[in-house]
Amino acid sequence: MQINNSLSPENKRLADRLRDSFAQVPLLAWLCGVLGAVLLERFFGDPLTEILGLPKIPALFGAGIVLKKPQLIPGTVAFLFLIYVVPVIVIPRLFGSILNRLAGWFFRLSPAVSVAIHLTLLYMILSLWADISGYRLLTLKLTLIAVIVTLSLNVINGYMGEFSCSHPGFLALGAYTASVFTLFFFVDDKVFGAAFLPKFLGPFMFPLALILGGVVAAIGAIAIAIPSFRTRGDYLAIISLAFMFIVKSIIENLEFVRGPRGLSSQPNYVDLPTVFIWTVAAVWIINNFVRSTTGKALNAVRDDEMAADAMTVNTRRTKILAFLFAAFWAGVAGGLFAHVLRYVNPGTFGIQKLAEVLAMVYFGGLNSVYGSIVGAVSLSLLGEVLRPLEIFKWIIIPLLLILVMIYRPTGLIAFKDFDVMKLIRPKEKT
Amino acid sequence: MKKSWILIVSFLVVGLVFSPSAWCKSKTIKIGINAPMTGDIPKVGEGTKFAAQMWLEDINKAGGLKVGDKTYKVELVLEDNESKAESAVKAATKMIVEDEVLAIVGPQASKQAVPAGAVCNSYKTPMISPWSTNPDTTKDRPFVFRGCFLDPFQGPVLANFITQEFHFSKAAVLYDVASDYPKGLAEFFQEAWEKLHGAGSVVAYESFTTKDTDFSSQLTKIIRSGAEVLFTPQYYNEVALIVQQAHELGWNKPIVGSDSWGSAETVKLCGEDCYGLFFSTHYAAAGATGDTKAFIDRYNKTYGYVPDDVGALTWDSIRIVQTAIQNCGEITGKIEKDRQCVRDALAKIKEFDGITGKMTFTEEGDPLKCAVIVRISDKGEFEFYKSVCP
Repeated sequence: MQINNSLSPENKRLADRLRDSFAQVPLLAWLCGVLGAVLLERFFGDPLTEILGLPKIPALFGAGIVLKKPQLIPGTVAFLFLIYVVPVIVIPRLFGSILNRLAGWFFRLSPAVSVAIHLTLLYMILSLWADISGYRLLTLKLTLIAVIVTLSLNVINGYMGEFSCSHPGFLALGAYTASVFTLFFFVDDKVFGAAFLPKFLGPFMFPLALILGGVVAAIGAIAIAIPSFRTRGDYLAIISLAFMFIVKSIIENLEFVRGPRGLSSQPNYVDLPTVFIWTVAAVWIINNFVRSTTGKALNAVRDDEMAADAMTVNTRRTKILAFLFAAFWAGVAGGLFAHVLRYVNPGTFGIQKLAEVLAMVYFGGLNSVYGSIVGAVSLSLLGEVLRPLEIFKWIIIPLLLILVMIYRPTGLIAFKDFDVMKLIRPKEKT
Repeated sequence: MKKSWILIVSFLVVGLVFSPSAWCKSKTIKIGINAPMTGDIPKVGEGTKFAAQMWLEDINKAGGLKVGDKTYKVELVLEDNESKAESAVKAATKMIVEDEVLAIVGPQASKQAVPAGAVCNSYKTPMISPWSTNPDTTKDRPFVFRGCFLDPFQGPVLANFITQEFHFSKAAVLYDVASDYPKGLAEFFQEAWEKLHGAGSVVAYESFTTKDTDFSSQLTKIIRSGAEVLFTPQYYNEVALIVQQAHELGWNKPIVGSDSWGSAETVKLCGEDCYGLFFSTHYAAAGATGDTKAFIDRYNKTYGYVPDDVGALTWDSIRIVQTAIQNCGEITGKIEKDRQCVRDALAKIKEFDGITGKMTFTEEGDPLKCAVIVRISDKGEFEFYKSVCP
């Protein structure tokens, strides 16, 4: 007891001091800090691994090394500390006030310029980080796609409050549409014969393939949206689950997309810039959507449909719009997914995918763009990092979910507004 | 604050002191195993892992792998692909980029082997899938090989066998439309059968969906169709249900299966209903001789059950990789060069004497090898009946 008593005020003071000293640090400085870290890794990562006796630069923050060779734990911790922790603390601390003034200057110049600068920094960080190894790049691409999927599901399950289980179906529709489009027009393969259009057009037409995938998924979503006028809760969940199975079995029985054997050899169009641009676009558009009048109408429908109807919210239109919108983005994500893996089969879009996406939404937090990003990133990385544990992975992750549900029943960061202007604004002295 | 600094500094010091400074990068040969340890088919993953471990034991007993006049230590890198396409791709990328494996054995099922094969081919790393029967796995991929025969070979083998053995001319097929392997094989069988007996000689061509457990409507149709033999290329859990339900509905003619029957679980689940039935496979455990018997006995002794075809094919595949590495003659330590060398050596392998038969690779990376027709004996053992070669 005595130790506890003597420690807790000191701890509190430390935490307060830390919070105070970093409260004035703008986002720009944090980004610069992380950029410093990835640059440090790029130029001094290899020599440092040799000094510390690590076989390679730890790919995903050293988890793989730690799980396989426990004797390398101290080296890995030292590496992470020197490369990541030190610059991320030191740079904002040293240059915080200068960067704060800079952020203010950018902001006054034009918020759009400020946003562009922040995004450029973010892209530089991601591309430098992923440049270290192909494995990081693949994980990063799949993580960004997971962000789009999670965000789009959050529109229905979080903002509108319906429990929809149809997302793997939308993903499958998008993935197959985009794959058929690119395979038909730009690839010589044995399913659709020779390329229909010159191949150099492919990368330029790829956005069209993704949008087409999104549109087909949105058309499919009408099948869910219409029953949603009459049913809610469990019944809609069952209908949407049925939709997922219907899509899966239709594709399994369609011979021209080779049924259960799946489509392979999609062209390699999805590089990091493509995924990054689409993810940023998805976050930006979905965020604007949920903060618009329609977005508020969604919340009204969720909280009390009858009252919303009485207050002149057109609930049918709102529901259809939300379903189509969410399905569109799921379709786009499906198209990206198919071109990252360069293989799709109907088996991928089953109940397991559904569980993954739902877990990301509920883990991260309902009704929140932050939450979706946090949920998608943390569960994707965690799932990848813990994969060597085999069966224990399937115990640890569900346990985490249960813990989150006990202590934060709506998810880690729920019901929080994602305000870009507030984010990029310089911190003011209090 | 001071305490935490001391803690951090001491951590760094410990990290520097205890890290093995002489990290030997080139002295070990790493071989990747991409196996479904969790997910739909964990038993397949287990068989893969056990066979690979037995091989590693042999190598370690010999003090390492002798290539040219040097002996190298061998390390197995096992990655779980969760029986998912995306995880198989991640696992393959990780092994190639992070662990720098020389060659990869696996994944087993086609739905993972097809995308993982694309990754291995683009990174120019040799991969051999012991069990994948989808032609796409190796097609136009010089770096991808397989350890088993393909469905376009197995379908005609069975059609010929039934014709010669029973002199039937009317067959029925029951298969899972949602699963890659049964569907493909059912199609190849139908094609071969109709070539032998004319169009319409497959009198019933019935399908169901994965995880169905009641087949009575399909079986009733099959019985009414006047078919003389039922062909069902299903996995062990469905085989038991199909055979039992067929017998309950009064079917007393032969039922023939494919290599997916070759699991220890088939007889366990099916019981006496399956006795006397035939299927084609890669090797027969009962009555095996020579190396095959030695492998089976050793596996059975170590892990407590008779290995199914996955184990045997993995064993052969990993030994093919070993042979290719040894044929390569020299490991330079430059991983790209060594991988290319192993790939070239793999393509040149002729008459490899495996426990599942002799193999020679074609240009596509598919082996030419014999199929075995197995009869389930009255004791429930898989008995060698006949060997059919291409």
